[in-house]
Amino acid sequence: MHHFVIRALTFALAGGLLSTPLSPTPAAPKVTFTIGIQSDVDSTNPFTGIVVEAYETYALMYDYLTTSSAKDVSPQPSLAESYSEAPDKKSWTYKIRAGVTWSDGQPLTARDAAYTFNRIIDGDFEQTNYGNYVANIDKAEATDDNTLVLHVKQPTPIMERLAVPILPEHVWKDVDGKAVKSYENEPQNGQPVVGSGPFQLVERRKGQYLRFAANKNYWQGAPKFDELVFRVFTNADAEAQALIRGEIDFAYDLQSNVFNSLKDKPGVTTRSSEYSGFNEIAFNTGAALADGTAIGDGHEALKNKQVRLAISHAIDRKTLVDRVLNGHGSPGDTFIPPVYPLLHYTPTAPQNFDLAKANQLLDAAGYPKKADGTRFALRLFARQESQDSQSTAEFVKSWLKEIGIDVTVKVMSEDTLTEVIGQGDYDMFEWGWVVEPDPDYQMSVFTCGKRSYKDGDAIYADLSDSFYCNPAYDELYEQQAGETDQAKRAELAKRMQQLVHDDAAYAITYYYNDLVAYRSDRWTGFTPQPDPHGSLLFQYGVHSYLTMAPVTATGAPAAAESPSGGSLGLVVTVAVGVLILGGAGFLALRRRSSASADDRE
Amino acid sequence: MRGYVLKKVGWSIGTLLFVVVFNFFLFRLLPGDPIGLYTRGRNMSPEQLIRLRQQLNRPVGEQFVEYLANPFASAINSTRFNRPVWEIIGERVWPTVLLVGAAVLAAALAGVWLGIRSGWRRGSRFDRITTGTTNTLYAMPEFWVGMMLIMWLPFFPSGGINSVGVSGFLATAVDTLWHMVLPVTALAVVYLAEYTSIMRASLVDELRQDYLTLARAKGLREDLVRRRHAVPNALLPTMTLIFLNLGFVIGGAITVEYVFSWPGLGLLTAEALRGPDIPLLQAVFLLFSLGVIVFTLVADLLYAVLDPRVSTR
Repeated sequence: MHHFVIRALTFALAGGLLSTPLSPTPAAPKVTFTIGIQSDVDSTNPFTGIVVEAYETYALMYDYLTTSSAKDVSPQPSLAESYSEAPDKKSWTYKIRAGVTWSDGQPLTARDAAYTFNRIIDGDFEQTNYGNYVANIDKAEATDDNTLVLHVKQPTPIMERLAVPILPEHVWKDVDGKAVKSYENEPQNGQPVVGSGPFQLVERRKGQYLRFAANKNYWQGAPKFDELVFRVFTNADAEAQALIRGEIDFAYDLQSNVFNSLKDKPGVTTRSSEYSGFNEIAFNTGAALADGTAIGDGHEALKNKQVRLAISHAIDRKTLVDRVLNGHGSPGDTFIPPVYPLLHYTPTAPQNFDLAKANQLLDAAGYPKKADGTRFALRLFARQESQDSQSTAEFVKSWLKEIGIDVTVKVMSEDTLTEVIGQGDYDMFEWGWVVEPDPDYQMSVFTCGKRSYKDGDAIYADLSDSFYCNPAYDELYEQQAGETDQAKRAELAKRMQQLVHDDAAYAITYYYNDLVAYRSDRWTGFTPQPDPHGSLLFQYGVHSYLTMAPVTATGAPAAAESPSGGSLGLVVTVAVGVLILGGAGFLALRRRSSASADDRE
Repeated sequence: MRGYVLKKVGWSIGTLLFVVVFNFFLFRLLPGDPIGLYTRGRNMSPEQLIRLRQQLNRPVGEQFVEYLANPFASAINSTRFNRPVWEIIGERVWPTVLLVGAAVLAAALAGVWLGIRSGWRRGSRFDRITTGTTNTLYAMPEFWVGMMLIMWLPFFPSGGINSVGVSGFLATAVDTLWHMVLPVTALAVVYLAEYTSIMRASLVDELRQDYLTLARAKGLREDLVRRRHAVPNALLPTMTLIFLNLGFVIGGAITVEYVFSWPGLGLLTAEALRGPDIPLLQAVFLLFSLGVIVFTLVADLLYAVLDPRVSTR
């Protein structure tokens, strides 16, 4: 029996020794802010990542020439303390802030910025995430340590919105064009990733978490806490539980049912913020290649603008917001969401829910109701990945039935749908876009040139998914692409939205909100973007990270880890270990004693 | 015996080849435009897009020969992560092996023990309670059990494999054990019924055999009759089950990994499906099949050792 006792003691002793690293000395407890995310950062290499969580890490680790203001998302200086277009409109000059240093102590100069831009311009793989930003830049040049000059082919407003992280040349020059493809940009040998932003990546465990340390020398001022952790959850319910228990401080990207379950929890504040995304029912307005050759099998009726308008009038957007989004959004109209107050266009002739008008329009368009009450049949494709997409499709189907259009809903994967759209083999589908502060990309989606293209015998999708093609629109697009006066450009953008709205290339259903919950008993001082109803985190810029602070007035501990969790965990683990080992020892002893018993076989 | 071994190994190699070929063409048959989806909403220049498509549009025959030459080649890159697929899998395989391995082991040990007790005294109260409980647990979905455990036992971590900031080998090991408790329990209690019922059924089959009467006639104690004579004979079906389940260890428990945010292969598969990341899916599927094939082979060979009648038949 005493074997068992010795084993148990050994284990308990080992456990005692272990407790030291588990509960670190309480001399200077680090204040940590932990965010629960539902999609792991796919790569911390800014040339590789796709997901929004990855872009957030780049914004934390690096600086950008300009940023988007917290107030109204308009462009504002950042690493470049000022910038201007040359009178001849052939170049832009950026004054790089003096005295900024990389986290390894090297100075950050205009040469680093020039290096970053030239690397993308001359690069291949480097173009993946930033190609559109540099398409119009001939070359980048550092005329001195504080001056960056970007030579442009044509005047372009995008120069105030270059969302390109400035990288340290002395680190990235050792990563060549081939190595960059699989370069991970993660801490090595305990050394954090060299950056200049408000946080430095100090630890990364794939599929689990990313840990950042605050840059106490950040040029905009040190963050008001020590560490920032992104913790990956694959399950929103578990993320909500972690928030309730205080394992995390901020839960990002919640579904509306989980969001509602957190509403009355003590210490937790839920927030439904206006966001830059919209969803739409897109029409096949006449699928064709960029050169005008017709493709696909879209229904003839949808080439008629009046039919599309009728369908748009038959969509009850308010019901969609209430029933599909549980109220977390607002009815949609044009393709630049109202979170961009300077750019959003509010139509003068809104397509309100009006079944009588829809019926009238269809009658006038030459599609009278047949004896059985129907006019014609259409297909509507919804996305497998999104429950909201499927619910929206079912609602739309029921409304279109009222106006005599027989809809068949088909659910398919986004991957398959992308291909189907590219071939023009659809009538209508449900999807959405997230619109960047610079609207160029979103506006290009509706140009004739972005329709599908042919390579050999195969047809491939470009950005257009409605095959909208209107010479007047294209002309406005060209005009805005060269307009460097922000106010004039906004006017053009509004006219473009009006065209797409009035021609009903999309029936925009809603602008959805960004649902988050956070520990308001521990944290305060977030800066919403735009003010006052916008997002708290995952913004364009790092505004909140610089202003938020732990609540200290009540004296409540602000640290993320609950002090009791670790030691209780240890006790239970040791107890379980003792039980298992003890049980095994006991069985072994019993076996030995019975084996020695006299059994004749 | 040698003929038997050769035959079994041959069959396994054949199956593996079939899987490699099938795997390759399965993903080529899938509809969809992965590049289109991958680049939707990204600031990629059109030329870059065309180049990406060209890679996927090479003749299928050429791609097949290249793949067949070495399905484990390090040159096969994931679309989503831009890194060699086998490197990504290498990072994710251990958490899964740890989780599912521990669960299968725990379920097998406990299940066999329970099965022996209840089979030996068939119809007793212990038997009825055990059978009833394990069958009820078996009927519950693993992810639901996992979710309930998270809610009922709030002092255990809600997910992940390590706490942030724990360093040092021993501390990490203890921390990982601590994180394993709930997911392993969720998996093990659901698996339990398989082992209990198989062990119980095969023991019941042995109960009326003549050799047990003989053993008793020799004057052996009841528990020796059970342990020395009945159980070894009844263990064979359970051994098969254990090895077949070990084959699925690598396949993981996608739903449990999902509930507990466990950074294993199940989760990786789920991530790869969103996309879809075809090279990664292809590699993961190959690995899953490989696991099943290898452990089935081991089970077959072990069976022959445990019961010589198998190989001479």
